[in-house]
Amino acid sequence: MNKLLYPIDVVLMRFLALLMAAIVLVVCWQVVSRFVLNAPSSITEELSRALLIWIGMVGTAFAYRTGMHLGLDIVTNKFSLQIQRKLAVVLTCAVVLFALVVMVLGGGNLVALTYELNQMSAALDIKMAYIYIAVPLSGVLIAFYGVCQLYALVTGKALPPVKEMH
Amino acid sequence: MEMAIIVLLVVFFGLLLLNVPISFCIGMATLATMLLSVDILPAVTTMAQRMAGGINSFALLAIPFFVLSGQIMGRGGIAKRLIECAMALIGMLPGGLALVNVVSCMFFGAISGSAVAATSAIGSFMLPEMKKQGYDVNYSAAVTAAAATTGMLIPPSNILIVYAIASGGVSIAALFIAGYLPGILLGVALMIVCAGYAKLKGYPVGARLPLKLVLQKVAAAIPSLFMIVLVIGGIVSGVFTATEAGAIAVVYSLMLAVGIYREVKTTELPGILIKAAETTAIVLALIATSSAMSWILSYEQIPQAISAAMLALSDNPLLILLMINLILLLVGAFMDMTPAVLIFTPIFLPVAVELGMSPLHFGIMLVLNLSIGLVSPPVGSVLFVSCAIAKTKLEAIIRPLMPLYLAMFVVLMLVTYVPAISEWLPAQFGF
Repeated sequence: MNKLLYPIDVVLMRFLALLMAAIVLVVCWQVVSRFVLNAPSSITEELSRALLIWIGMVGTAFAYRTGMHLGLDIVTNKFSLQIQRKLAVVLTCAVVLFALVVMVLGGGNLVALTYELNQMSAALDIKMAYIYIAVPLSGVLIAFYGVCQLYALVTGKALPPVKEMH
Repeated sequence: MEMAIIVLLVVFFGLLLLNVPISFCIGMATLATMLLSVDILPAVTTMAQRMAGGINSFALLAIPFFVLSGQIMGRGGIAKRLIECAMALIGMLPGGLALVNVVSCMFFGAISGSAVAATSAIGSFMLPEMKKQGYDVNYSAAVTAAAATTGMLIPPSNILIVYAIASGGVSIAALFIAGYLPGILLGVALMIVCAGYAKLKGYPVGARLPLKLVLQKVAAAIPSLFMIVLVIGGIVSGVFTATEAGAIAVVYSLMLAVGIYREVKTTELPGILIKAAETTAIVLALIATSSAMSWILSYEQIPQAISAAMLALSDNPLLILLMINLILLLVGAFMDMTPAVLIFTPIFLPVAVELGMSPLHFGIMLVLNLSIGLVSPPVGSVLFVSCAIAKTKLEAIIRPLMPLYLAMFVVLMLVTYVPAISEWLPAQFGF
């Protein structure tokens, strides 16, 4: 499991850096095309919104990996370590289940429906389904990281932290 | 509907208290509530659709940009230049360093849009400096934390963008302009407390610098401060949208930090981009799950029920507004700002509008109120950061925070009951 962890972390981080750089360039291009070239680009707005959905979804999985999502630990840190660990096992299962049911099943169904109905992103001229793939993809990643977390909890070895990117 | 409310609340608060990330608490509570009345496949498909749809917004794009430019600015030696500028301008007043701290936080909060970033950037410079001059460490940490919250109102501000989305259509430009007076008022109120406290304790007064040196320090800060002019000027004059202004802020901060000040290396950029994507995604995850929740809230007509219940309690607007404020202060003590804005805007905004409050005014009140929550125990992200930098305990900085809380509360009451503080300036710009 942990052998897969690092390669996936690295791919995810590179992908996020790329998406973030792309979204800045796209919106800058929108400004330039409007003011300098005097010919507003028609695809930049839709493209940047599509990129935002991807950053939101893929980034959510990454933030779950790094444990950066906001939580409230003032109650649980009063519990004994053993209870905290048992609780973490149950709640991590709940997160994995949520990711699989809502994001993979629901998101997958959303992709299938919009694909069949041929719902298009007008200016980009691509199917919305391709943009929505970010939802089940994020679900799969969250489930994967959740399972890694469970493995770490059960074996008692801490999940190795993300290596810094340079 | 009663069943729906019970399930929603029990699942949400149950999971919240068990330390499940808030975005997942919202998602799971929504799913549980939906399953009461909808089959599983349509329920999860609707949720997935609402989640993706909730972040499919051009206005929201401003958030990753301001996060990114804030992060570049935070590493780019900008804090140091802002502090030196403030020091040259007001360091000679009573409680000089405390005042410099407040003003630097206002500047930095305005540029970075993040109270946590302002606390760590300004605090790590100011706290050792204040200690050297004999200021009490706990007091200095308290001042930094309280002052950092001014950046929530002084634009550009990510939380005001989140409110614009949650309220369903208040203009971001109007909110940005509306934030100035209350934000500055808050800063001034804190400075009055600081000056009084300094007189009481006999804290030293800074030296008056020769004019030439003052001008030099101000000139060094001008490129940083110019970003405010560029971004806000562009939005207010309608030259570009808030989102486009954000992208321009990124480019400008890059030029400044990498090109002019040379404090960020290009090899650091991928790391900065990833960090910004992560921070953005945390906010977007909250927005995504909240928009699924707001679907089930309106499907079950829950906001209408709460609104009717509150209005049945009293028909005195002053009393209801006070009640809303007290509830929000309590919420803010436990919950971070973004989820609080996303969850409570759809619930309280209709009540406020019913009482004749404008959505613009309500947004400023809400953000100011929840800013106090950022520095209120038991959960206050800014408080934690400030304690960590000062290497002190949470309990120790509560006492020196008391007069500052009082100042914040007075400003909150002024902003709540005097609409002009929020509405006058935007009106001058035609909003």
